[in-house]
Amino acid sequence: MLLCDFHIHTKYSDGSVELRRTVDLFGQAGFDVIAITDHVVNGDTSFGKLAHRFRYSVTEDNFDDYMSHVEQEAKRAWDKYEMLVIPGVEITKNHRSSDNSAHILILNIKEFIPACWDYEKIFLEAKQQNALIIACHPHHSSEIATRDTLFLWNNRERYAKYIDAWEIANRDDVFNVISLKKYPYIANSDFHRVRHLYSWKTLLNCEKNIESVKNCIRHNKGVAITLFRN
Amino acid sequence: MTIFLIFACLTAIGLIAYGFQIWSIRSKLKTNTMNIRKDDQCFLPSACFCPPVSILKPLKGLDDNLFDNLESFCIQDYPEYEVIFSLQDHNDPAYKVAEKIKEKYPHKDISVITERCNVGLNPKVNNLIPAYKIAKYEHILISDSNVMANSNYLQDIAKHMKDPDVGLVSNIIKGTRGRSFGSIFENLHLNSFIMGSVCFLDKFLKMPCVVGKSMLMRKKDLEDIGGFRAVKDVLAEDYVIGEKIHKMGKKVILSSHMIKNVNEYWGIRKFMNRHSRWGKLRWKIGGIRYLSELLSNAVFMSFLPIFLWEPSKITFIFAAGVSSIKILGDIYIGRHIKTNMNCLLYCLSPVKELLIGFIWFVPLFSNTVIWRGNRYIIGKDSMLSLCPETGLWSWRYRIMNTIKTRFA
Repeated sequence: MLLCDFHIHTKYSDGSVELRRTVDLFGQAGFDVIAITDHVVNGDTSFGKLAHRFRYSVTEDNFDDYMSHVEQEAKRAWDKYEMLVIPGVEITKNHRSSDNSAHILILNIKEFIPACWDYEKIFLEAKQQNALIIACHPHHSSEIATRDTLFLWNNRERYAKYIDAWEIANRDDVFNVISLKKYPYIANSDFHRVRHLYSWKTLLNCEKNIESVKNCIRHNKGVAITLFRN
Repeated sequence: MTIFLIFACLTAIGLIAYGFQIWSIRSKLKTNTMNIRKDDQCFLPSACFCPPVSILKPLKGLDDNLFDNLESFCIQDYPEYEVIFSLQDHNDPAYKVAEKIKEKYPHKDISVITERCNVGLNPKVNNLIPAYKIAKYEHILISDSNVMANSNYLQDIAKHMKDPDVGLVSNIIKGTRGRSFGSIFENLHLNSFIMGSVCFLDKFLKMPCVVGKSMLMRKKDLEDIGGFRAVKDVLAEDYVIGEKIHKMGKKVILSSHMIKNVNEYWGIRKFMNRHSRWGKLRWKIGGIRYLSELLSNAVFMSFLPIFLWEPSKITFIFAAGVSSIKILGDIYIGRHIKTNMNCLLYCLSPVKELLIGFIWFVPLFSNTVIWRGNRYIIGKDSMLSLCPETGLWSWRYRIMNTIKTRFA
């Protein structure tokens, strides 16, 4: 089984650890697959403007640098730890109301996707790039410091067809609604700080390459979740 | 004024002790340089005394830098050796790392064993017993999972075993790579007090002070002192093994080869837990000698007049002066042992000394430790016994746990 975490932030957005150190942290802990998913924040709201102002977002301008850095680290991680590093982003649509906010992981992204696009356009563009679409922390979370992102769950009838998997567990939270709806699932850490290493993770029973990982998640066979603790 | 003078004298004693510690570290490192020159002709492993060695690595949980730590023992510049990673179960997160290392070096003699062993109360010894059973060679090296070694490490320490009178070889430990307050404190403490004390005991008192992060010995000598079973219920198994071998009439050598203890992301609580545990075992082993640790803490002594006499200009200047001396001393040691620590971080050294000063008192009031998830009572010579789960003890811990959980 491959030990995986598909939701990791670095200093490219609001993570507290640099990309290289993040890769080393997961490599030293024996992970098989990780995805670097820094925020791409919508710039059309006051929250988004603040995030752009304080550089808590990957933008169209630095997207190429971000991607080439992730690729460079992916090569190093493979050579040193035999760990697969998948480039990704977290499309972050923050609004005043939790009901209108949503975070979406796009894994194996190739071209920049702006977060201010409407949902359908984002999903279609991600499909076009053969990327994996994951709905992040889709239900009420226990984190005091973060606001809920309920839009996708509230509009699941409309958008579920685009979503490859839903986060059934995120860091310390478990969202039982995903299980009740029998949606495809994965579990991630939403890593921002070193202590977040110890959290919910995904176990995949597949080959260690990007296509196999994507297929495994899409078909949701051979997927398990585990609470990774020291 | 009398109080101030008393503490000024105690501080002076502490500073003198600290001076001796620096001296002993320097002279130990000088031995290293001289040995390197002397062994210039021995640059090829084949030209040195290199008996086959079994490296026993007891693993439990993820340490900082675990992959690199384990890997460093698999790429030793040494003709014949095996590495045995020993765990209590497959679910330990370190198991995956050990397996990855084994897969990365298929041509090396690496074994990963998982065997639940509950022979004694010391979890590290429980972990070592199954590894020892399958160790192939006469020379065994016990090495903790949180140490990283240079490629010439094995060659450098094995040469001491050429002398049949040598029973055990241990090493100096250097703390490196602190990225959080807890790990910076830990590294500062390892590189000043711990390193200084170990070198001081070795040079001036000729006392064996073995730290279990690296212990090379012969199976025969270990068997002669009763094997691992003799230390199965002891918290300070490393110290006791060293002492027993010393009492048997064999030499216990402190090699000047420095090994790295990588501490990157420790929290303050972890730092305090470890040193209150170590303090408790030193109190139980050393008895009244434990007082010398407080006396050697010059910074703590220099701050006491502020609270016990008066917070005046003279007391503040005195404390600041002693703290500056401590910072400069630590920078001096750091430069000598090449820690690559930012000079500004040494300013945290007096803060760490104050914390250590307060931790010093913990063993006087508590004789229990939580180690690797288990709770024990420490007795004389660091003998462990399980904490009773009934009666007053259990209520005390239930209340404490409830408070901790609430705060978490």
